Amino acid sequence: MSGTMNLLIGLAMGFSLLALASSRLPSVIRAAAFQGMILGTLPLLLEEKFHWLVVAVAIGTITVKGFIIPNLLRRALRAANIDREVEPLIGFVPSLLLGAAAIIGAAALGSELPLRPEHAKTLLVPGSFATVVCGFILLMARTKAISQVCGYLILENGIYLFGLLLINTTPLLVEAGILLDLTVAVFVIGIIVDRIQREFDTLDTRKLTSLRE
Amino acid sequence: MIVALDIILRLAAWLLLAPLLPGIINKVKAWVAGRRGPPVLQLYFDLAKLWRKSVVLSTAVSPAHVAGPAAAWIAIITAALLLPVGPAGASCSFRGDALLFVYLLAFARFCIVLAALDTGSAFEGMGVAREVSYAVLAEAAIITALLTLCVQSGSVSLATMLAPSAGAGAALLAAGLFGVLLAENCRVPFDDPNTHLELTMIHEVMVLDHSGPPLAAILHGASLKLLLFAVLLTEAVLPLGKLSLLQAIGALVASVFVVAIAIGLVESLLARLAFRRVPLLLTTAFLFCLFALLVAWKGGRL
Amino acid sequence: MTPGWLLLIAGVGLVAGIFSAFKSPRVWLAATLAGAVAVFVAAVCMLASGVPWNWQPDFVIGGEKLHLQLDGISAFFLILLSVLGGAGTLYSSEYWTDKNHPASAPAGRAWWNGLLLNMGLVLVCANGLHFLIAWEIFTVCAYFLITRERQRPTARAAGWLYLAASHVAMIFLFAFFALLAARAGSWELGPMREHSELAPLFWLALVGFGIKAGIFPLHIWLPSAHANAPSHVSAILSGMAIKMGIYGLVRFTGWLPTPDSAGWVVAALGVISAVLGVAFALGQHDLKRLLAYHSVENIGIILIGLGFAMIAAAHGNAAWGQLALAGALLHVWNHGLFKALLFLGAGSVLHATGTREMSRLGGLWRALPWTASLFALGATAIAGLPPLNGFVSEWLVYLGLFDAISAHGPAAFAAIFAAIALGLTGALALACFVKVCGVVFLGLPRSEIAEHVHECGWRMRLPMLVLGAACVTIGLAPILFWPALATASAAWQPELANVTLPAPLVTLGAFHLALAALVILAGIFLWRRVQHNGVSRTGTWDCGYAAPTARMQYTAGSFAGIITGWFDWILRPQRHAHLPKKLFPAQADFEEHTPETVLENVVEPTASLVMRVSTTVRQLQHGRVQSYIFYLLLGLVALAILAVMGGTK
Repeated sequence: MSGTMNLLIGLAMGFSLLALASSRLPSVIRAAAFQGMILGTLPLLLEEKFHWLVVAVAIGTITVKGFIIPNLLRRALRAANIDREVEPLIGFVPSLLLGAAAIIGAAALGSELPLRPEHAKTLLVPGSFATVVCGFILLMARTKAISQVCGYLILENGIYLFGLLLINTTPLLVEAGILLDLTVAVFVIGIIVDRIQREFDTLDTRKLTSLRE
Repeated sequence: MIVALDIILRLAAWLLLAPLLPGIINKVKAWVAGRRGPPVLQLYFDLAKLWRKSVVLSTAVSPAHVAGPAAAWIAIITAALLLPVGPAGASCSFRGDALLFVYLLAFARFCIVLAALDTGSAFEGMGVAREVSYAVLAEAAIITALLTLCVQSGSVSLATMLAPSAGAGAALLAAGLFGVLLAENCRVPFDDPNTHLELTMIHEVMVLDHSGPPLAAILHGASLKLLLFAVLLTEAVLPLGKLSLLQAIGALVASVFVVAIAIGLVESLLARLAFRRVPLLLTTAFLFCLFALLVAWKGGRL
Repeated sequence: MTPGWLLLIAGVGLVAGIFSAFKSPRVWLAATLAGAVAVFVAAVCMLASGVPWNWQPDFVIGGEKLHLQLDGISAFFLILLSVLGGAGTLYSSEYWTDKNHPASAPAGRAWWNGLLLNMGLVLVCANGLHFLIAWEIFTVCAYFLITRERQRPTARAAGWLYLAASHVAMIFLFAFFALLAARAGSWELGPMREHSELAPLFWLALVGFGIKAGIFPLHIWLPSAHANAPSHVSAILSGMAIKMGIYGLVRFTGWLPTPDSAGWVVAALGVISAVLGVAFALGQHDLKRLLAYHSVENIGIILIGLGFAMIAAAHGNAAWGQLALAGALLHVWNHGLFKALLFLGAGSVLHATGTREMSRLGGLWRALPWTASLFALGATAIAGLPPLNGFVSEWLVYLGLFDAISAHGPAAFAAIFAAIALGLTGALALACFVKVCGVVFLGLPRSEIAEHVHECGWRMRLPMLVLGAACVTIGLAPILFWPALATASAAWQPELANVTLPAPLVTLGAFHLALAALVILAGIFLWRRVQHNGVSRTGTWDCGYAAPTARMQYTAGSFAGIITGWFDWILRPQRHAHLPKKLFPAQADFEEHTPETVLENVVEPTASLVMRVSTTVRQLQHGRVQSYIFYLLLGLVALAILAVMGGTK
């Protein structure tokens, strides 16, 4: 079981790297969506007993992260008529290497931390650290609002992964609440993106500095 | 006596089988495109013809133009002697031969590119610049792959490094080595072996001014290099060392065949990348090898 | 004859050379060569017998008793000194003659002998004070050799930079030796590993010797000095003088205790120097400057080996440390040999064409067949390709790293990065030397100066042949040199004395021999086949363009463009371009220059900041008595305030 889970977390880390390496917005969105879907299945593997709430949350996560949010983003992309090329502040190869360094660093850190034995064998902790850092890199290294949202999504995925450590103690409703927040946030950003586009004729977040007054 | 016979037999096998691989790849490509395609043995005919043809040399070239292909060909053949074949081992095996293998291929590249630069052609200069630049990243990837194998087996000799299976990271290592194979042998998506536009080529543009027997040496060497990488990839991933000799050879032939089909499919389904995207792809191959190393490393300690 | 007598003969020969340098070049040549041969024989005798030679007469120089010592490490470096010194001496007798350079040649010969003599003295001195004196004299001799062409401003600037950097190094070495003498109670040098309180002194030595060795980022003086010196001087500077820094590090990490982190720092500096050195080399358009940056790279490779040997020694003599050390030491020799060969080759090009600018050369193999072949040999060696010597030493370092990794020890993680960096360095060096060989020697002449040139004479050719032969010999029969490596390693760490051969050098040598023989046979065979089939000559394929010119060949800058693009963040090349515009473009041009980043972006801004601050402070000091009295008064008031404040407590 821990083997399958490690494989899935490894895949999820691969998707964060894919998001870092993609030069086109749709593929960044797709990478974030796939990552969310993969992570959505994890509660099913973690929970030994079958529980309807767990299944519901898993299905909810997969639907929201895998379908609703990406669709919102794609719609924003279409509506705002955005150029699909990502504009990197840090080049693709350096950000890819940074992401890889984050993963190696997270793996090294994970083996140093005093974890509970059932967590020490899984990639949960390194995976979550790595995903959070990859999200941050995406947030820092890209300029377009949509890719920023994707960075934010990947960041949230990392936090979600960390939350799975506490799955036995935290009510799943909390996660459901976060999910709701996220959807609303993305929805709002979708609207904002459209407005920014109409106002400034660009989606470059660097231009937002002119809003400070 | 037996040693000499062994070496001769293996050499004959390597040399004779190598030109088959491009034939298979071309057949797969033709099949995907719905054409009949050239015969599988086409490269043999080409080589035989080239060997008999007279040579056109540029007025600019030095003797290195002919010596380069010869030296590169020898370097690739000697590298083949280092590569083990399943449980039978290699004809020449010692500690550290894995590094010699990598550097022999680098030596072959050195000779080929100098022979190309010899013509003074700007096109060939371009091809050479690309070849040596992308080789830098490919070299990092292949050294990392060797490190992975070394961590798994605790050895620096190809015969023992390739004997056990690649363990948990096998898929990662396979992906990384496949990327290196495509880049080192100038296949799509790094280079297009069929293109005829000088500005966009790597390997083909370097041999523009070669003809006759030197060109035959280059083409045969290139096919042998492709075979070497296919065998290396197979043996790095499959635990051939644990099988009996016949089984191992059978498995080897079958999987090299699979690799050739995979290359053919990649060439049919993908387009050549823009040159500025090539480093990204090579970095990805390097990262695959690096993560395979990480998995092997963790596997050793947990 | 004992080593002592031979060294005495050598010393007499070199001193005689100094005196005859002005009068009779022939006597100078004979005396210096005899000296070099005597040193060579002495060092070989020592390494063969394995018995160190010690000489402590009752001479007192500067209040300290003379103490000369020839042990494994000294002898190891002395051999390189004698080979390069001999080669450079013979080379300069044709390259820098009285006829070509009447003003600078005689004094140049004297400084040359001074340089050789004092480098030799540094290697055999076992007294800190005398070590320092000899070090300073050889540094100054090198300055006068670098500025042989004083009429050129670049040569003067290079000389000043060298002198300044060397004296910064000297300050650190003074501090190092003085503190060592103060703490150990004597200037006498020798093994003192048990004095653990001496360990922090290592950092002083690292900076002092590191500047000399040209470790990145302390290498700022190196490129311009090596590029502007006469080529035989560049050869000895790059082949031997920077190795004096390595000698210092090897010597004192062997004799003194080191801090725990020393090995890691040295290895990390090695990785940085190796990768960035070759990256900077790729950005250069000046042949000798490019070679100079490769010295930084190779020093990096040596330091990777030395660093891991130190880590191994700190963790109880792991077996891989021996391999890394052997690789590092052999690379000292190898780099000395092939880099000297390359610089002498570059000198031959410079001698023939008068320019170091690669974009103006091309097609030189026709006129300079010897130089071109020997340069190609050196290029193959420095790119670390089999079957030559560069591969053997890199292979030993690699084996050390791979063994460290499979041992899963504390160094394994670092060794992974070092091994990957070493692989990168090798591939980058290959790219760089393909560029050099292709642009300078192959293709067609890019300008008129490259057209009418002539090959150098035998006195320039013979040293290159000797160095090339040495490269080939180490490559084909590395086992012959193992005893020397073993003796030197044992002198570094006595625990390494009884180690058996850790790497299959015999098999590797046999393989190299077979490879070399087969390459030659295949070359001949293919050539005969080509002749048999018939050859016709025509122009290079030009893609249908009607009027190709030699200027259309790929240039050094465009060749390296892809890779230098990856390193733009550190190389910071300055480009000025007027791109072609419109349908029938008028003149267009492109200019690229890769500056010395550390010098121009770190050292010079810091220096100018210091200058600005000092200029401000200097206004306090303008020579009016009134203001000095004012300062006095201020001081008194300050003292009074201090006293009152102190009194209240």
